[in-house]
Amino acid sequence: MSDKLTVYKCKKCGRVMYPRHDRCLKCKGREFDEIEMPLPATGKLLTYSQLFALPWRYDVRFLTLGVVEFQNGVRAMGQLKTPDVKVGMKVKATWGLVREIRGEKLYGLKFEPA
Amino acid sequence: MFVDMELEGIMRPPELPMPPYPPKVVTMATGQQMVIRQVRREDVPAILDAIRPTLDIERDFYDVVGARLYAELLSWQKYRAANHYCIIGQIEGILVGIVNGRMYTRDVGMSLHTMTIERGLRVGGHLFSAKMEYQIEYLDQKEVLIVAESPIGMRRFVIDFELEPRPDIPHELGGVPSTALTRELWFKHRDRLVVGDRPVPKKLMEVAEREIITPTEKLINEKIMGEKRMRSLL
Amino acid sequence: MRKVAILGVGMIPFGRRDEDTLMDMLAVTGLKAMDDAGIGDRPIDGVYVANMGAPILENKTGLASALVDRLCLFPAAAETIENGPASGASAIKNAFFAVASGYCDLVLVVAGEKMRDTIIWKATDFVATMTHPLAEYIYGVTLPSMAGMFARLYMEKYGVTEEHLAKVAVKNHNNGLLNPYAHIHMRITLEGILHHPHAIVNNPVIASPLRFYDACPVSDGAAAVLLGPAEMAKELNKPEIVIAGIGQATDTLALQDRDDPTDLKAVTIASQKAFAMAKLKPKDINVAQVHDAFTILEIAESEHAGFFKKGEGAKALDEGRTEIGGDIPINPDGGLKARGHPVGATGVANVVAITWQLRGEAGDFQVKKAENGFALNFGGFGNNVIAAILRREA
Repeated sequence: MSDKLTVYKCKKCGRVMYPRHDRCLKCKGREFDEIEMPLPATGKLLTYSQLFALPWRYDVRFLTLGVVEFQNGVRAMGQLKTPDVKVGMKVKATWGLVREIRGEKLYGLKFEPA
Repeated sequence: MFVDMELEGIMRPPELPMPPYPPKVVTMATGQQMVIRQVRREDVPAILDAIRPTLDIERDFYDVVGARLYAELLSWQKYRAANHYCIIGQIEGILVGIVNGRMYTRDVGMSLHTMTIERGLRVGGHLFSAKMEYQIEYLDQKEVLIVAESPIGMRRFVIDFELEPRPDIPHELGGVPSTALTRELWFKHRDRLVVGDRPVPKKLMEVAEREIITPTEKLINEKIMGEKRMRSLL
Repeated sequence: MRKVAILGVGMIPFGRRDEDTLMDMLAVTGLKAMDDAGIGDRPIDGVYVANMGAPILENKTGLASALVDRLCLFPAAAETIENGPASGASAIKNAFFAVASGYCDLVLVVAGEKMRDTIIWKATDFVATMTHPLAEYIYGVTLPSMAGMFARLYMEKYGVTEEHLAKVAVKNHNNGLLNPYAHIHMRITLEGILHHPHAIVNNPVIASPLRFYDACPVSDGAAAVLLGPAEMAKELNKPEIVIAGIGQATDTLALQDRDDPTDLKAVTIASQKAFAMAKLKPKDINVAQVHDAFTILEIAESEHAGFFKKGEGAKALDEGRTEIGGDIPINPDGGLKARGHPVGATGVANVVAITWQLRGEAGDFQVKKAENGFALNFGGFGNNVIAAILRREA
């Protein structure tokens, strides 16, 4: 599994998107450059929630999820390593194991206070 | 029933000293107050009346829990179960929940059952915490072994309390391997799980002690849930 | 397009319905709507079944065909509509156009869900399947946590407090006590769920900042409506309750793709379209049913639908304006919070509730002088929203 976040830059208007759309969110263009956003990266925490009552097969007491905005404009959801966070806080994003579904390991973004 | 006290002397198990659980009162989501108190052997018949109907309810393992709880309370009442306690919750005298357990040894507790009127009132949450409060903070035990018949209940306990597995010590109830709530785990989590005011105001206590009222659908709906009249059959 | 009326409605109490299968609920409720309309032997040309979870939870597909079979409605055209929690309103929308276009005369819409058989963690996962598969679902996101992240921003931006959220819950629980079909019949107090120190156990955080009583219950249930040309109402001796406007709009799937995640654009656009089609304004509405899967959504939707300016929904709640006796009653039947939320059924249940209001059949939760009603169905997390406006014409 890669340890980079792949984002999509519209060749026409330059808007960077994550997740992938087949047409540009801004100009409806169809051609994109796939950019590997290197990790770790720093971003700003836009919002978060500490959740209990998790989906099946998460055997922990809670998860903390948040949405982070990176400097290139990309916004992404990920798992926060601690619930002791504040909106606006600087966080460091890395890539790690986030879920296991039917034996398949899934990787994604993990955030921690920078 | 005639009891030969001379024979009882031989039959009755020795008991560990068990300081009483000080009753407390909790304010519920409905705004009402629930009295949580330990009961005595004399109270068992009234409680058994409330449990009896559950013996025919299959869903959520009510029948197994009901049958076992019934047996545990009856055995305790007749002095055939040692070091057993029962704590109940009452709202305006109406029995809304029952929890029980035992001291397995001086240091190790055995959590037995939790049965409540299931109405989203979190009676079970309050009462289960009360019995852990009793076993660890008042009976001074080192850890309490816990299992549950319902998979939902079991998963909730394991996750909420971060219970430790104890597969080498069989739980009296059998079923899934034992898990343990240690003193350390308890004190880590208790502040968000245990509430209650002591002492219980005299008037509230009088109502609670006067009668343990069996919770019928009608009583629950009208007195506790706030229904102005019974839902008509639709 | 000809005028379309709701000729019949059917509903069964929402809650834990262990003895009923999903098909049982759909069949019974469908018959109730047919009987309510009193159509006798008149043929039904179209059937729409709204449901979200049967393929996942019940291992069952082809519900509409199965319902036609149960009710012997052959050879009616039939389809199952899946649009997440907006399945109900989507089915009504499709039925509306079938009748309005003249393609069908009588169309039956039955919406149902069976969610309580499965354990809560699996039900939570099932609901979460509507989130973005790569950007959200893999992280273990749940709808409560989406609502939590939304609420955190909304509360900060508009000064909505925990107390406002609790007030929505209290209001809707009180309303639910008056509705015999509601799942939850339980009075709650601000004291018990918020202000008292013991509230931390009564009302624990489920997805910060949202707490237990900020979320609707998981319910089984079904609701149905029978649509037909408006002139048939007279023939059937029923009040003429017309669908005056329908609007639908979509928005981005992933919350992070929205420029302003607090802006529920789909609610605004869907509502505007419905009002434009009905040639009415929000102030003309006498009663509204919105989609309060979470208490914050009642406040946010009441603003985005146009009843209050952005940021003033909480104030209106404080002033009692959204109570049954207020000037714009919202969720007089208890809303999703107390009535319950069998996800596929909700959209139709909201329309049934409005129909009862406009007919004067809402019993203890009747709003006085209800002539124009509004119903909102919020799919996904606000990425597929349908608004409907009903008016009493005779």
